[in-house]
Amino acid sequence: MKKIFIALFASIIAFTATAGNENVKEGKNWSVRLSVGYNIGGTAPMPMPVEIRSIEGFNPGLNLSFEESVQFLFGKGHWGLRFGARVETKGMTTNAQTKNYYMEVVNGDGIVAGNWTGKVETTVKNIYLTIPLLAVYQINDRWNVSAGAYASFLLNGNFTGYAYEGYLREGNPTGEKIELDKAAYDFSDDLRKFNWGLQAGAEYQICNHLAIFADIKWGLNGIFPSDYNCVTFALYPIYGTLGLTCNF
Amino acid sequence: MAKKNIFKLLSFITLALLTSCIREEAPNAECDIIAVKTSWLEENKGILSGKPIITNTAVRFYVNEETSISDLKELDPQFELTPGAQISSLRTINENGERGIYMLYHTTSEDGNWCKVYTISFTKQSVIDTDAVFSFEHFAADKKYTVWYEEDANGTRLDWWATANAGFNMSGLGKTPEDFPTSIDTNGVKGNCVKLTTRSTGSFGKMMKMPIAPGNIFIGEFITANATKKPLEATRFGLTIAPSKPVSLTGYYKYEAGEVFTNKAMEEIADRRDTCAIYSVLYEVDPNNVVTLDGSNVLSSDRIVLVAQLENPGEESEWTAFEIPYKEVNGKVFDSEKLANGEYAITVVATSSKGGDVFEGAVGSTLHIDEFKINWDNK
Repeated sequence: MKKIFIALFASIIAFTATAGNENVKEGKNWSVRLSVGYNIGGTAPMPMPVEIRSIEGFNPGLNLSFEESVQFLFGKGHWGLRFGARVETKGMTTNAQTKNYYMEVVNGDGIVAGNWTGKVETTVKNIYLTIPLLAVYQINDRWNVSAGAYASFLLNGNFTGYAYEGYLREGNPTGEKIELDKAAYDFSDDLRKFNWGLQAGAEYQICNHLAIFADIKWGLNGIFPSDYNCVTFALYPIYGTLGLTCNF
Repeated sequence: MAKKNIFKLLSFITLALLTSCIREEAPNAECDIIAVKTSWLEENKGILSGKPIITNTAVRFYVNEETSISDLKELDPQFELTPGAQISSLRTINENGERGIYMLYHTTSEDGNWCKVYTISFTKQSVIDTDAVFSFEHFAADKKYTVWYEEDANGTRLDWWATANAGFNMSGLGKTPEDFPTSIDTNGVKGNCVKLTTRSTGSFGKMMKMPIAPGNIFIGEFITANATKKPLEATRFGLTIAPSKPVSLTGYYKYEAGEVFTNKAMEEIADRRDTCAIYSVLYEVDPNNVVTLDGSNVLSSDRIVLVAQLENPGEESEWTAFEIPYKEVNGKVFDSEKLANGEYAITVVATSSKGGDVFEGAVGSTLHIDEFKINWDNK
């Protein structure tokens, strides 16, 4: 599956690169773009649930984004359309202090369930193939802004972590209190394969073929199915990207 | 260098944004009795004996022998609760045989969504009747699993027996009382017996490095809070209930070892066969500060005075009677005066996997026990 996506992506690059060469020869109302960016942000509940009492650590990790896109400007106007494909990583590691956070962990035929008060370290590292479709407004020769939607397909998901230094109330807050040093979990296999959201950004042309850009990407469906009980609040990927674009 | 600073700055901004979303703390959902108020303990120290035992749903006080039941009924214990929680006494006072009372208290959490009923008991500390046979006919299944207790001639409930069922409960694998490591079996030597089975604790247990839960039953207390963090300290063996010097432990057992012997990592050890353990230990305690033996030292402590241990129990498919004598160890001699001063605690332990304390054993190993009796020196 992953190999197919990579092959597909490579062929899009090859195709548009060829098209780009012709574009340079023919005219200027469309361009081919290659972008590389750095994603920083969080896969976070919105709004923050009351069970999370503090965020004690955050490491954004190294999340890169490689995008190949085509941009058309309609007529001689300012408006245009941009679409493409990118392979991107959205990830982070957080340490949070929780209070009375209900969780379930599937244990063979049973379920370990209860309310956790203590620390939770979570590492998310999801690799997506994303198709953005954006409206573009060319303000002047230097600046353009864009906004639109994206669809993401999970190529490789990783959602792991551990609960530590706290206690579980078995079943509910009146259940037996069980102290835990450290209990690891891995919910990678339960991640949703499809994610979508909105994105908006601005780009500044610094020289002939090179621009810098900043985007924000706001996921609108949670990374787990909505009936998923191991992580009871919906986690939305909300990431900003800073990067460079080569355009031809 | 500049790049690194930008990275740090971005991380900081993101963290600040996340943190700014933290909402106001919700009211507490727990409604625990955390402790008995020290001032109340101080006021009533004349009638109390030892420290109260607080569990998730009960507080047990032991009182002096000379206290009258009517005095006990006047007691109005004061507790420390989860902050914000409320407590009300249902003031239904029930007599527990002739040796104590119990009353029900109701706690409600600060958020008002959760409540619990606590059984608060005041009991005169009894010792084992010298004629007593432990037939395992007194049990309650008010929880998901079975709890055993003794009753004296007057019908006083004596919570002497403990099991690790509460620890296994956490695995979520116990759906009926029969799924638990320690359960009732109706085919006893007489009436019911106790069935001890070594169970798997599933992937969660394996991850916690506690892949099996042997069936066990013992005189003492099981501290659920310690069950996963310090499992050896969860089994507090022994109570100060010996009436005189024990001479021998008799009873019946049958045993079948599980097929696959595994270690703490749940790796098969091909050349090992599981074995059960039945033993009893009498050891020294400081009556003013009773520190029991636990899984780490119940057979190795230098406080042990007498040990009775079933040697080479093997595998018996039919009920097999045993009689094991108590032997003095550590160069110690049983002293009746020390017994009178409350300086000895006694435990009886049975488990379906001898190496269960270090999570070695075979899933499926099954020990049945019934009609245990300690024979006492009548002199």
